Amino acid sequence: MRNAFIIIKKELRRVFTDKRLIFTIIILPGLAIYLMYSFIGNAIGNTIEDVEEHTMSIYTEHMPLVLQEAIKDTESDVIFTDAKSVPLSLLKEKIKAGDIDLYIAFPPDFTERITAYEDAATTIPTVTIIYNNGERYSESTYYKVQTALNNYASSINYDRFGDAMYPFMQETTISVDEDKASGQQIAGLLPLLIIMFLFTGAMSIGPDSIAGEKERGTIATLLVTPINRSDLAIGKVLSLSIISLLSAISSFTGILLSLPKLLNQEDTLTANIYQLQDYFLIFITLLATTFVIVGMISMVSAFAKTIKEASMLILPFYFLSIITAMSTMFAPEPASDLVLYLIPIYNTINVLIRILTFDVASIHVILLVVSSLGYTGILIYIINKLFSSEKIMFSK
Amino acid sequence: MKQNLIVENITKTFKLSKKQQKLKHTHKKTITACDGISFTAHQGEIYGLLGPNGAGKTTALRIISTLIKPDSGYVEVGGSDIFNESKEVRRKIAFLTSELKLEDHFTPNYLFTYFAKLHNLDEKLINQRKEALFRRFGINPFKEVKVSDLSTGMKQKTSIAISLVHDPEFIIFDEPTNGLDVLTAKNVTDYLLELKNQGKTIILSTHILSVVEKLCDRVGIIINGKMLVNDTLKNISHSDNYIDLETLFFDLIEEHKGVE
Ligand SMILES: Nc1ncnc2c1ncn2[C@@H]1O[C@H](COP(=O)(O)OP(=O)(O)OP(=O)(O)O)[C@@H](O)[C@H]1O
Ligand SMILES: [Mg+2]
Repeated sequence: MRNAFIIIKKELRRVFTDKRLIFTIIILPGLAIYLMYSFIGNAIGNTIEDVEEHTMSIYTEHMPLVLQEAIKDTESDVIFTDAKSVPLSLLKEKIKAGDIDLYIAFPPDFTERITAYEDAATTIPTVTIIYNNGERYSESTYYKVQTALNNYASSINYDRFGDAMYPFMQETTISVDEDKASGQQIAGLLPLLIIMFLFTGAMSIGPDSIAGEKERGTIATLLVTPINRSDLAIGKVLSLSIISLLSAISSFTGILLSLPKLLNQEDTLTANIYQLQDYFLIFITLLATTFVIVGMISMVSAFAKTIKEASMLILPFYFLSIITAMSTMFAPEPASDLVLYLIPIYNTINVLIRILTFDVASIHVILLVVSSLGYTGILIYIINKLFSSEKIMFSK
Repeated sequence: MKQNLIVENITKTFKLSKKQQKLKHTHKKTITACDGISFTAHQGEIYGLLGPNGAGKTTALRIISTLIKPDSGYVEVGGSDIFNESKEVRRKIAFLTSELKLEDHFTPNYLFTYFAKLHNLDEKLINQRKEALFRRFGINPFKEVKVSDLSTGMKQKTSIAISLVHDPEFIIFDEPTNGLDVLTAKNVTDYLLELKNQGKTIILSTHILSVVEKLCDRVGIIINGKMLVNDTLKNISHSDNYIDLETLFFDLIEEHKGVE
């Protein structure tokens, strides 16, 4: 074990005395994610604001004033223009082009027909609407007009029939556990991102540190010293884990800082909903998963002849893990069967979802940690065998 | 007990991949790199392994250094056998071959300490050894320069210094003067003679005849994995029909051309 520590110290020194590596492995991931997500979040936010701030342009024919008032009463700006002098074909063109948001036409005797509804001679009036559902402004205008029309229709019904019109009354109260709702949003995204960044961190150094040392002949220099191959395996896996973990923590910090912006809920959704103990559990989960991923990547790198070959051989593991993570993205419901918590990567995702949605029990974390350590042990054993194999280490 | 290194009848056959078959212009699926090689290197002597490219020198030295295992045969290094006491063997030897490289990012100073620690030396001894070896090879002015920025000669000298960090009894150097200028090469060979006089057991592989003539007490000539001559330089030069080492070497190569 003493030699494993000497090797770990050297590996860490390799990274920490190299400004380029410090930047690409530790600073860049967090910074890139923060900038990228903040940018995406801002873009989405701007779109929503943009629609809200847009002044709706509605062309009307014989539109009842009450209705116009009702639309004006919503928070949005609107300009009504009388369409009488404009030919319908031109209106359609302008709506298609996005110059006009909506056209709405009532029959000239609309109000009279509404009032004289009991007269058998009157027919029910038709309201004509033209809008463009391929256009954000037009579509949002349509929904607003639609809502106003529905309310107007209800109020007419009330005037005619009173309460008897309604088969039932409605009473809706919004009751939401804000924390849990936010948690669920975070849980949809974060596990995938974490798996991705754990892999990226480990993949950026693992192949170079093991396959690269084989390729360059520097590991052979180590193999003629009296160290145990297992010390070398442990030293490599632990040092790579430390570095990958730093890389993952950097990504994680970037995500946490930009998440409110990304989900565009700066006021309600913050990472503050989690307690210290939640962060601690996330850290434990990250640590255990890092060991497994680094172990996997180290094994593949020890097997490969070159950095290039190692990077190629890792890809299937990477994609499999990403697909596993993606499967839970749209429905962050954690698995209930405890046996499933023994499956690497899959258990990470489920435990993360549980932590993030305040639904975790110690058994989940324990199963994850114990199984991960088990897998890491097996992987180190295999790497040790590979380091001892002359076919792997000294083939031409 | 004499610190001898005994090699008995070692054989090693490699499987050839399709790619290697093409490179070697052969249809054979295997190549026997060592074919029953036996010799003994004695304490206080330099043993020279002489052979053309591809003769099996490096393979034999890798077997002795426990990096690869022979298919059959036996090697004993100062009483430790390579199969059951491989760690002990590695503790006793310095092994140098062109395939063993130093990490570019680090300095000679750092790497020397690093390998010394892996050999379990204490701080005081590390500094003593570093002092002596760095002075002997003129590494001091470059000890804080990254390996990537060192000249070929300085790299090689650093490799030699590091291989000797633990003051081993057995020194196994595979073509140590390859690629060095005459001055640097002399620096290295002079040091090997010093080590010999200190009573170390030294094995040296080379295809440079003058090195053998100047340095070695015993010579083994390997061609196509077979040991064809194994004797003291004195005995060889006193044998019948002997003109010089060069003629002997070329005659042997001519004799075994195409025969495998
Ligand atoms: N791992 C390996 N796989 C396949 N063939 C090998 C392997 N190692 C060595 N060989 C082959 O065995 C033969 C002996 O190689 P070796 O390196 O021992 O020769 P050498 O005497 O050191 O030659 P050189 O002077 O070129 O260094 C060569 O034909 C080489 O190609
Ligand atoms: Mg060789």
